[in-house]
Amino acid sequence: MGDADGAEPLELLFPGNGEMAERMRALDWAGTPMGDPAGWPASLRTACRICLTSRYPMFLWWGEDLRLLYNDAYLPLLGDKHPGLGKPGRQVWGEIWDVIGPMLRSVTETGQATWSEDLLLRMERHGYLEESYWTYSYSPLHDDDGRVRGVFTACNETTERVVGERRLAVLQDLGAQAGTARSVGEACRLVAGVLGRAQRDVPFAAVHLRDSGGEPVPAAVSPPGTSLRPLPQGPGDWPLERVLATGEPVAVDDVVPRFGRLPSGGWERPPTQAVVLPLPGETGTGPVGAIVLAVSAGRVLDDNYRAFLDLVARQTAALVNGAVAYEVQQRRAEELAELDRAKTAFFSNISHEFRTPLTLITGPLEELRGQLAGAGERVGEELEVIHRNALRMGKLVNTLLDFSRIEAGRMRAGFEPVDLAAVTTGLAGVFRSAVERVGLDFEVDCPALPEPVHIDRDMWEKVVLNLLSNALKFTFDGSIGVTLRAEDGQAVLRVSDTGVGVPRGELPRLFERFHRIENARARSNEGSGIGLAMVKELVGLHSGTITADSTEGEGTVFTVRLPFGTAHLPAGSVVRGAEPFPVSAADPYLQEALRWLPDGEEGEEGEDERGGTGRDEPVPPAPGTARARVLVADDNADMREYLRRILAPGYRVTTVADGRAALEAVRADAPDMVVSDVMMPRMDGLELVAALRADSRTASVPVLLLSARAGQEASIEGLEAGADDYLVKPFSAAELLARVRAAVKLSRLRNHHAQWRTALVDSLQEAFFVCDEEGAVVEINSAFTDVLGYGPEDLPYRPKHPWWPDEDTDSEAHRAIERAFAQVVGERKGSYVTPVRHRDGHRLWVYASFNEVRDPDTGRRMVVGTFRDVTAERLTAQRETALAALSVRLSEAGSVPEALRAALDELRGVWRAPRALAVTWDGPDRAPRPAAAVPGTAWGRPGDPVREAVDSLRGRNPLHPVATAEPAGIGITLEHPGGPLALWVEAGAERPFIGEDHTLLAVLGGYLGQTLQRVHVFEQQRETALALQRAILGPDRLPAGFAVRYEPAARPLEVGGDWYDTVELPDGRIGIVVGDCVGRGLEAATVMGQLRSACRALLLQLADPAQVLTALDRFAALIPGALCATVFCGVLDPSTGRLAYSSAGHPPGILTHPDGTTELLDQARSIPLAVRPGRPRPTGTRTMPPASVLLLYTDGLIERRSRPLHAGIAEASAAARRGRGADLEKLADDVRTGLEPAGGYDDDMALLLYRHPAPLEVAFPAESAQLARVRGALRDWLERLEAGPRLTQAVLVAVGEACANAIEHGHRHNPGRTVRLRAVAAADDLHLTVTDTGSWKPPRPEANAHRGRGLILIHALMDQVGIVTDETGTTVDMHVRITR
Amino acid sequence: MTTTLTLTDQQRPDGTPVLVAEGEIDMSNVGEFRAAVDRAAGAGAGRLVVDLTAVDYLDSAGLAALFAHADRLELIAPPLLGPVLTVSGLADLATVHMA
Repeated sequence: MGDADGAEPLELLFPGNGEMAERMRALDWAGTPMGDPAGWPASLRTACRICLTSRYPMFLWWGEDLRLLYNDAYLPLLGDKHPGLGKPGRQVWGEIWDVIGPMLRSVTETGQATWSEDLLLRMERHGYLEESYWTYSYSPLHDDDGRVRGVFTACNETTERVVGERRLAVLQDLGAQAGTARSVGEACRLVAGVLGRAQRDVPFAAVHLRDSGGEPVPAAVSPPGTSLRPLPQGPGDWPLERVLATGEPVAVDDVVPRFGRLPSGGWERPPTQAVVLPLPGETGTGPVGAIVLAVSAGRVLDDNYRAFLDLVARQTAALVNGAVAYEVQQRRAEELAELDRAKTAFFSNISHEFRTPLTLITGPLEELRGQLAGAGERVGEELEVIHRNALRMGKLVNTLLDFSRIEAGRMRAGFEPVDLAAVTTGLAGVFRSAVERVGLDFEVDCPALPEPVHIDRDMWEKVVLNLLSNALKFTFDGSIGVTLRAEDGQAVLRVSDTGVGVPRGELPRLFERFHRIENARARSNEGSGIGLAMVKELVGLHSGTITADSTEGEGTVFTVRLPFGTAHLPAGSVVRGAEPFPVSAADPYLQEALRWLPDGEEGEEGEDERGGTGRDEPVPPAPGTARARVLVADDNADMREYLRRILAPGYRVTTVADGRAALEAVRADAPDMVVSDVMMPRMDGLELVAALRADSRTASVPVLLLSARAGQEASIEGLEAGADDYLVKPFSAAELLARVRAAVKLSRLRNHHAQWRTALVDSLQEAFFVCDEEGAVVEINSAFTDVLGYGPEDLPYRPKHPWWPDEDTDSEAHRAIERAFAQVVGERKGSYVTPVRHRDGHRLWVYASFNEVRDPDTGRRMVVGTFRDVTAERLTAQRETALAALSVRLSEAGSVPEALRAALDELRGVWRAPRALAVTWDGPDRAPRPAAAVPGTAWGRPGDPVREAVDSLRGRNPLHPVATAEPAGIGITLEHPGGPLALWVEAGAERPFIGEDHTLLAVLGGYLGQTLQRVHVFEQQRETALALQRAILGPDRLPAGFAVRYEPAARPLEVGGDWYDTVELPDGRIGIVVGDCVGRGLEAATVMGQLRSACRALLLQLADPAQVLTALDRFAALIPGALCATVFCGVLDPSTGRLAYSSAGHPPGILTHPDGTTELLDQARSIPLAVRPGRPRPTGTRTMPPASVLLLYTDGLIERRSRPLHAGIAEASAAARRGRGADLEKLADDVRTGLEPAGGYDDDMALLLYRHPAPLEVAFPAESAQLARVRGALRDWLERLEAGPRLTQAVLVAVGEACANAIEHGHRHNPGRTVRLRAVAAADDLHLTVTDTGSWKPPRPEANAHRGRGLILIHALMDQVGIVTDETGTTVDMHVRITR
Repeated sequence: MTTTLTLTDQQRPDGTPVLVAEGEIDMSNVGEFRAAVDRAAGAGAGRLVVDLTAVDYLDSAGLAALFAHADRLELIAPPLLGPVLTVSGLADLATVHMA
């Protein structure tokens, strides 16, 4: 172990690889006052080790002069003071020794540690005097004797944090100034103030703003009062221009040469650097100025410092910009206020100016009224008009004047205590007559108040009259109410109405001056928009309030509240003792209100506002020229009268009171000219012009607008709307006449073309229409009205047009017109036929054609079309089509039921009816029953309403269609072979029956009736013929083992020249005949019938084929048409299969063996019949092998054009060969269809098949005694089949077991029932069937051991066994392969 | 028409009873046949010989009569009856001599 005496190696004392460890190890300590480390006290050595191994900045002071030892972590904090290892503290930290020296001394002297936090130390470690902050502790280091010999320090530099927090505070201070500055100058001063508090970071600042010329001008400086001038020989002033030009900051490093000493911000040294930053303007504009910010000499200008200064500049800019914006706003507000003042002054002046002339009008007028009292009605009327309008003008002027007085604060009110109830009731009374005249209720409820109210009488009068006038103006029905109450120490007046109300959004602006609610329905559009504003001012002068509550469409309540007493009134404004006073100002209000009332209600002379003839001047028109017609629209009756008087001498004048009436009048009968006021209720002049222009019929009517609103803007608005001319009130009569004259002249020229066109269109025979691009019909001619009943007065007709068939009740027709309409809207040209509905409801069909055109004025797509009524043609065509279709269908019908079915099907198709029925009453019970029904529609069960509906047709006159309601349909009765017959067709859901359908049904029903009669006759004839044919064709019943097919070539005959026959001879043999007479059809059939009968008779007599044919020769020779008939005649012994045959020119029979070989029976060939009568005929014989098939046929089967006969025979042979294993009937079908030409047999065809032996069929009573007989028959049959003994035994046992089962089980309880055995041989298959009419029990071997054994035997002996038991009985079906 | 059947009882020299049948055996006459077989069987306790050489037809009813004595039965049958005897399984129980 090391000891205190210094044996410790240097690596232990100064451990690690750090720079300081190496330096310490390398230092020659012995050469320093600290001496050899070996002699250091243990505490020093320990401290050394701690220091060197710590990554926290640490150092030690040791010895008398406190020499320094420090670690690597301390190096950066030391700056250029490193290396100071082993040097005295005072030497290293000279500049701060005044601070730390005493601290160190106190530690060494007292042994007490110190703690310093964020202590400012002015260090010079990086070449300049630096502001730095530290947190550290000095701890004593003792030597081995316990004396304090050194100090141990762990320290942390906090400069960045301290400075960062300080700068942040500056920025926050700046931000807090936002929104406080009212001017740019103030904003700059605020910035300077903040920066003045932040001189540590910004020792000097100067804000420069651009003046109006864009030059930077100093605006504020910090610290305040600092004045800088560039030194005479220096580099110059701040580079402001450069910064403003580029918008980029510039750092200035030569501050001292430029300006000398700048304020240092409390630091020992003045700044040497500064930054000039731009102050950016609002987005998108250049800098508004620049700011100079000096850099403190105590901190280096690093990135943090730069960022801070940049933020200072931005905050400054924001403050400046905010102030600029505020100034602009402020200026605008002041300008507006000024404008307002000017306006008021103007109104005031002008109103004042008006009073003089007004006085000079009203004064003399009063005199004139007196003097001219008897001067005639007309003069009186005119004076009345002047009087009324002078009053109105006076009222307007006075109101404006009052207003300007109030504005200017010059309104002198004289408040006197009054009985407000009495005063108000009096004022309301003035309006009573006017209110009641228009049919409104007027409820005035003003009970006396507990104390007088101080009012200025004139003002109160205006308040009440304005409110009442307002209520009357906007109320059309219901009532107007006035109530007065004392509430909460106030007098409360309420004026309520049930008028149009005020839209919610308009309420806040209701009391604004000149604010008018657009589009409100009113009795008049007269008004200045000032009344309510003045009411509010007047109430305000009484220290009262006014509020409005309103619901649009329900009404409005105005509430005025005035305080009692005088406390609220200005001193000296209360006057005393007024005499009861008359209502002074009411007259103008009342007169004005009365002018709004309809003329009729006003009780004056009635005026035909619409018709236009009532007041037309009775000037006779000049010959050949009609006087031009002018329509005048103005809501002011006086103005209407005035205009009429001006225009009447030259024009026929019609007057209306608003735009809508004008529009209706123009549409009904377009005048030559419209003179219209702009401001009118219901529809104003601009809307009128727009509506007229939008309609092609009225688009060309010239319109002259009159308005009180002067100014370029107003006239442009009018002209843009499409007015032809514009006159501003007041105007002179001459001016109006000149304008009207010019417009009418122009219009007449312009209209000449249009009128010519209209005349042309109207003269068209066809209906004419014009559609716009939406499909609205905008123009029609008189033919259109004639066809559809819709006239021009309701134009435009928008889709869906009123003539469309109803969608719900007639959807099919509706779809048709929808398709047509789609065509009109979507295609350039075309034509269509569509159903339409006349105005009176009846159905029409029209044929329309249309073309697309472009409106030359607007370029819009228009469609011009014509159509004509094709209802009659269409109905005729429809009838003919239906009739033709029905006749085609009926022509195919061969019987009455067929004809009915076809007819019903057709009827159903014509009407697309769900059901069509034909009903007769020819049953024994005379109840209706269907004669035929369309497939899929059932005749309802009893109780089905259809029955009742159809039964109701019974007894109706034939061919008179009747409608049924439940279910909806139409029916008709007609004569029918079996008695009256009713047809009934159900109405489709989409297609109701209309008149034309009844006619159609009558036509079709009539035709059907005739057809049924005809078909009935035909049917009877045919039935007769068929009966005859069947009689001559062939045997009713074929012997077992035969199959035949027959195809007559001629329809509808079922016989032809070919025949087949089988004759069962007395000896058990069977005569077989297949013959073919020459020709076809009825003629050949008659020959055939005779030959057949003869042949049959001969066979019975002679039983030898050759002899039969020889005899037949002689017979045939007697029959015309029998010559050359061919016949194959054979006699077959079914027990042996021996066939004797002879052929009279007939194609050979084909014999097909079970193995598939075929041979022709061609040995006994001879000439056809009757060619050489008397000549003997040969006989051939052939014994048919078991399971072979004989095929006889006529040449219709095999003969084809351009094909040798033997090819046909070969084909027939092949068909027989292919089917030889099949059932005989199937084989017959296969041969018939296999050889059938594509279009069917075109010649008579007969074929006959026999398979030998014929099937065995045995029926016997279910008794065991029968078994031996059955076995005997089966044994015989098997012998004919030449079955071997084993097969025979197997078949006998299997059949025997099946029969025994049938007897035992099936019929144990019902003995005597029949059991049937059938045995059929095909080529190599034996098919055995045992059938009984009982049911088999499932075998139960334990109970009937030998019966179970029987089944086992059957299965073992047969190849294939099927046992089927159902309710009709049991069938055992067995197959076994034939072996011989 | 009833089924023809002739039944003859014989005895072998060794005393063995022999029933000789001629004709056809079906359900109509099986009672007669069964009675004859039973009678022949009762004639002794040893072998029972039934000679079917002249029988043309034998169905399951006849077979049942024979099965009753199958263990001591000795049949003389024509080849024609071979399949029936084999299929019914009688040939497995009784001794069959094909004539």
